[in-house]
Formats: sequence, C-alpha cells, structure tokens
Amino acid sequence: MLAIRHLKVSYGITQVLRDVTFDVPAGKVVALLGGNGSGKTTMLNTLSGLVRPSDGSIVFEGHECAGLSPDSIVRHGIAQVPQGREVWPSMSVQDNLELGAATRRDWAGIRSDMDEIYTMFPKLAEGRRRRAGSLSGGEQQMVAIARALMARPRCLLMDEPSAGLAPSIVGDMVDVILALNKRGLTILLVEQNIGVAAAVAEQAHILQGGEITFSGPAAGLVDNPEVLRSYLGR
Amino acid sequence: MILLTYLLLSGLTTGSLYALIALGIVVVNKSTGVINFAHGELFMFSGLLAWTLHVQLGVSYLPSLAIAVVLGFALGVATNLIAFRPIKNADVVSLVLATIGLAFVVRGAARVIWGGKGDYLSFPPITSPDPISFGEIMVIPQQIAVLAGAIVIMLVFAAFFRLTRAGKMMQAAADNAKASKLVGIRVDRIYMLSFGTGAAIAAAAAVLMAPLTLLYPDMGFSFFIKGFAAAVLGGLTSLPGAVLGGFCIGVIEALAGGYINSSFMEVSAFIVIMFVLVVRPTGLLGLKGMRRI
Repeated sequence: MLAIRHLKVSYGITQVLRDVTFDVPAGKVVALLGGNGSGKTTMLNTLSGLVRPSDGSIVFEGHECAGLSPDSIVRHGIAQVPQGREVWPSMSVQDNLELGAATRRDWAGIRSDMDEIYTMFPKLAEGRRRRAGSLSGGEQQMVAIARALMARPRCLLMDEPSAGLAPSIVGDMVDVILALNKRGLTILLVEQNIGVAAAVAEQAHILQGGEITFSGPAAGLVDNPEVLRSYLGR
Repeated sequence: MILLTYLLLSGLTTGSLYALIALGIVVVNKSTGVINFAHGELFMFSGLLAWTLHVQLGVSYLPSLAIAVVLGFALGVATNLIAFRPIKNADVVSLVLATIGLAFVVRGAARVIWGGKGDYLSFPPITSPDPISFGEIMVIPQQIAVLAGAIVIMLVFAAFFRLTRAGKMMQAAADNAKASKLVGIRVDRIYMLSFGTGAAIAAAAAVLMAPLTLLYPDMGFSFFIKGFAAAVLGGLTSLPGAVLGGFCIGVIEALAGGYINSSFMEVSAFIVIMFVLVVRPTGLLGLKGMRRI
C-alpha cells in the first residue's frame, strides 16, 4: 500500500501541494483527477523522487520514501510512466526497454521479463529494432509503459496515459491498464479524461489548487454532481 | 598532385587527433549541456604524464598510453567534482567560468611540475623515422600509426557508446535526463562518467600526438580551439559530426598551410568557427534545438 500523508510541496514561495493525504491500496487502481496546474504531475514527481517535499510522508509497503532519490524509489518498487511518453527517440525500442531495467543486475530475469513484455505488447516485439521516435503516439505510450514495467515495479504511477491519443487507441490503453492491474500491479493513475478514470479506477480523488477536494468511488464519477461541479465547473 | 596527397595525409592525421579532442568536448556537452573549457588542459596534462612515464620512468609506449588514459579519466572525474557538480544548477556563465578557472589551475600545475626542463619536451618516435615510399609519395610511418591509432580509439569508443549499458545510459541521460532519472539511472554518475570518458579520449589523443610534436604546458588551449572548431563544425552534440569536423579541420588547416601561407594554419580553425556560426549554426550534423554552451 502507498500511503500519502500531509504532503506539502513548494516551488520557491509557491505552494503547489497543500497537506495532501490519500491512500492507494495494494492491488487497486486509484485515479487522481484535476485540471491543468492542479498539482497532479507534481504529486507524481514527488512520489518518484524528482521533487523533494517540504513536509509530509510517503510510505510504500512500510518504507518511508519521502525525499529519497529517484533510483532509490525505483528500487523500492515504484515506477512512473511520465506524461508525454518521454521515450528516448533516437534509441531502439529494445534499448528503451533494456534501460528500463537500469536498477537491476539479474540479467536472466531481465531477459525473461523482456520476453514477457513482448508477449504482452506484440507490436513492440515486431518493431523492437525500430527507433522509438519513429513509432506512433500509441506505440510510444506502450514503450513508455513497457519500459516502466522492466523495473519490476509493484506500484505504477501513470501520468495522463490517454493524453494525445486517438479515441480508438484510448480504448486499448484502458485495456492495458486493466490487464496490468489484473496481474496484481497497484496503479495510481493521473488523468484529465474522466471517462478513462471511471473505466479503470475503483477510487478517485480530485486535486484542485494543490488540495484534495473530492474523494469517492470512481464508478459514478461521470454522473456525480459534486464531481461535475468541482471538476468540470458544471 | 604529390603535394596535395602529402597535405591530405598530413591533414587527415592531425584531423584524427582533432576529432578525438572534439569527441571529448561533445561527449561532455551532449550529456551536461556545457562546454568544458579545461578540456585542452586535460589533454596537455595527460600528454605530459605520459611523457613522464615513457621518457623519465622508462615505461614502454603502449602501457604509458593505457596509464595516461586511466589518469586522464580520473582528471575528467575530478573536473566534474570540482567545476561542475557543486554548481550544476547555476547559470551557464558560472559553469563556463568554473571550467576556465580550472584550466588555469591545471596549466599552472603543469608549469610547476614540467616547467624549467627546456619547457618543450620531446617524445621519442614510436616507429622508424624513415619514410616509406608508395610510388612517388613518401609517407612517414609515424603518421600512419597515429591515424590508425586514432581510428581504433574512435571504433572502441563507438562500440562502448552503442553496445555497453554504460554507453547507452550516457546516451539516454543526454537525450532526456528526466526519463533517465525515472528509470533509476543515476544521472549525476553519468555526468561524471561523461567528463571522465571525454578526458580519457583527450588523453589518448595527447599520447598519440606526442611523438609527432613537442609537449609544453601552454599547448592545451590551441588544441582545444582546434577540437572546439571541429565540434562546432560537426554540430556540438553529434559524435559522428565531431569526427567528421575533426578530419575537415585537419585537412582545411593542412591545405591552407600548403597552398596559401603557413600562418593560415593557426587561424583556419577560427575562420571555420566564424563561418559555421554565421552560415549553419547547427553544424554539419547537429540538431536544430541548440542548448546552452
């Protein structure tokens, strides 16, 4: 379980996250929703160790992770699929995946995980020698997810995986997230697409101005008047 | 025709050394986004270390080269720890000034250690000084050895960069530091490795060059400028561009010296830098998005 308690993050004098508290139960998908500038990406970057919190705690499987370096966070079992994919465009798909296992030294395990990932994403197997930058947006998103999986995480942080994808591909993305969760992966999904969040998450939180303003089941998000008022302004 | 062939061979030989210096500059710039202005001094210091090993201590040439490369790597790591890591988030002017300051310190240390010994130190030839003739063309074996050595080092470096995990991590950190951190690559270590690798290549270039010329503590800057011109010509972030740029600068310099005036040899690198910055700022193989230098 990932437990976030009273988390505060500031950039200089600007407080981006104010006393944020929520849980991501083991084996569940939790959605974190919010508009631009609400602090969602900062939240994920803090959980990944890219941003140091000014206060609060992040406990994952009993270990305090707040303020740890990014590589320590990955070693603890938390990996992130960043917004905008951020694959290495000039490197092959295979190299992108190999580097996803940068913290590992179990070469046999890495090879077997890569085979498993290629089975899960057959399109990546076909294009393993292609430059990642030459792939479509949906395929690059698959590379980004596969790369994160190569670290063998137990918790996956996904930052707007549906952003910039064609509606037909968004459906595939939903299937991938559900499949990963079915394999036991805990997922914290940051989304602006409320439909995607409702389709995959059990619990949802809405972040506004750096504060959680709504917490509840994800299933009824689309019809929840409180959500529509606070998130969509309707 | 004979003069042209001789000039081309001579240009390719010195160009291969400029290419190695440029590779070191580009490796550091590609991953950290800054130019290490102490690079020429690391080149000089490594060459003088090899001179001490080979001439004063009697270590044979190849072990001297290997030891100088290792010591060069250590100097590069020290550069990272002294002039980059403590101020890595500072503005580019501070980073440049730090490497310039370090360059003066290294040059001063070299003057203290190797000054007063005639200042210009000679390195014994590693091949027979007698030229070999190919028809009407006379070739100095030393030139062939240097050119071959430089090409071997380039191939080893290319293999390291493309085939090893550390090399791929260097590429990854250069392309996207955030993504690298997110997969657990320790980017600070990669920066250190880049400085070390860049300086190790410079050390190899210095030891290859040593038998062709004289070594002295003030030689670093002029070689840095040649390497920098090659790197600028190649695009500053392109490794193949650095190699291509190095060979071009070497040939341009040799042809300018042979057909115009020998004094043009020294200024040709500056002319190339100015020309590239005006006509094609991204260089021959550089990317469109230029970063801070």
